[in-house]
Amino acid sequence: CPLSMFFRKVFLNSFSGVGKSCLLLQFTDKRFQPVHDLTIGVEFGARMITIDGKQIKLQIWDTAGQESFRSITRSYYRGAAGALLVYDITRRDTFNHLTTWLEDARQHSNSNMVIMLIGNKSDLESRREVKKEEGEAFAREHGLIFMETSAKTASNVEEAFINTAKEIYEKIQEGVFDINNEANGIKIGPQHAATNATHAGSQGGQQAGGGCC
Amino acid sequence: MLSSVPHRKPWWKSKKTVKVTRSYPTFPPLNAWEECRGLLPVDGELNPGVGFGVEDGLLCQVVHSPEFNLFPNSVVFESNFVQVRRGRNWIDIYKASNTMALGVTSSVPCLPLPNILLMASVKWYQGQSQTWNKPSTIPNIILKRILPLKFVELQVCDHLQRILRLRTVTEKIYYLKLHPDHPEIVFHFWTRLVQILQKGLSITTKDPRILFTHCLVPKNCCSPSGDSQVSYKNLPASQPSDSLIQLMAKGEREALSQIFADLHQKNQFSSQSSKKTETNKDTSEKETPCEDCIPCTRDLSWRDSFTFGEWERENPSGLQPLSLLSTLAACTGPQLAPPIGGFDP
Repeated sequence: CPLSMFFRKVFLNSFSGVGKSCLLLQFTDKRFQPVHDLTIGVEFGARMITIDGKQIKLQIWDTAGQESFRSITRSYYRGAAGALLVYDITRRDTFNHLTTWLEDARQHSNSNMVIMLIGNKSDLESRREVKKEEGEAFAREHGLIFMETSAKTASNVEEAFINTAKEIYEKIQEGVFDINNEANGIKIGPQHAATNATHAGSQGGQQAGGGCC
Repeated sequence: MLSSVPHRKPWWKSKKTVKVTRSYPTFPPLNAWEECRGLLPVDGELNPGVGFGVEDGLLCQVVHSPEFNLFPNSVVFESNFVQVRRGRNWIDIYKASNTMALGVTSSVPCLPLPNILLMASVKWYQGQSQTWNKPSTIPNIILKRILPLKFVELQVCDHLQRILRLRTVTEKIYYLKLHPDHPEIVFHFWTRLVQILQKGLSITTKDPRILFTHCLVPKNCCSPSGDSQVSYKNLPASQPSDSLIQLMAKGEREALSQIFADLHQKNQFSSQSSKKTETNKDTSEKETPCEDCIPCTRDLSWRDSFTFGEWERENPSGLQPLSLLSTLAACTGPQLAPPIGGFDP
């Protein structure tokens, strides 16, 4: 019976307006919505991917970026297998405050949590305020994976999520993650169990139609 | 399949109880119980909340499932709604097979009021009867978001049509019509919840020895033997709290029955918010039909009215005023003191 697993939480985290929700929408629905409501609380998205022949469900938690909602975000870090720390390449301030977000993430999560640094809005080259090299340097310094993406053009969006998942998967293979400890945000089981038990949000790459709420 | 819902233990079991009588805000008389007695889908169900599908329901099972494992020790009060928009009449936004599950719960079970709103989209199979309470086939439920209730305003919009108006702090407005499959009493529960969230209650204590006289879903509307003939006929409607005293039973899932507010703060909130809401009402209701899904950012001043009490903090284990600490101390048992942010195992 082939194994399947879900990474219970992959976090999207950082300043408001950097495009976290758009990245999620692009990844789960393959569409871009230029105007997105401010996220309050947590919004969920999910998608099935395949790594190494195994079906893996990525459950993504899109968190609020606004300072006033941040205390809420912190309490949800626990149990996250990975996080995408996003900044906006056209807004220097979102890059300058990455350390705070990173500390926040590390402080409130599993120390093994995979963190990917994302410089979003790479389509807006003319308005760029943060060089790619700066992002790379920051990632190198803090042991993060780095990628520039564009939720608008879908450039690297798929790769960002899948590479994060791969990294988590590799850590599982290396035994870094204790898969018996659900606090790591990983659950492994028979394929049918994983897909059925997680029927909520199991869009399998496409959102269920209807799109209410 | 839906997975295990963590077993909740009755946390005050075998403890000495003290009945406290206080004055309460007036709630609509529960005359609807008269009508619903015959509707109770009992079949051996001890908890009428479960019988009505408003507790331990489909949304609760999703939220408590291993995938989310959110608020595992908290009760979820939930129902199935149809998203509508204003027209000459109320118009369904989505096709009939798509509904929305709405629920409230507490991030920490010992909070006196629910502080989390849950929203999920529900997709029913073609031709399937949309029975929320134990449907023949479980529909596809996708948890969409969780919102702190302090950033949400819930109002009863149309009693007759059983429509709630949900407005978020970001001015996203939803009109939600209780699914026709739900009996009338379920809307009364929601009405009651709306009132409690707005006005609060007069108790903040969580001393488990105290039998509270408030309960969203009265527990003994039917006896464990299945006898649902408890009569509310003779109870004076002007004293709903008295009738609730009689309705109160020693049920297990009492988190939602423990809906008590920090009145000082809540009253401040409700008076401010109701005034501002009134002011906004005329204009907002003249909005385009897209109002239900498109945020309006004209007047965000009302956001300031989202003040909230100490009890609604996400993490009540921080420093608390002495008055609250004393009540917390009364309930700090092993089951009631989860770790910080402790809704994960």
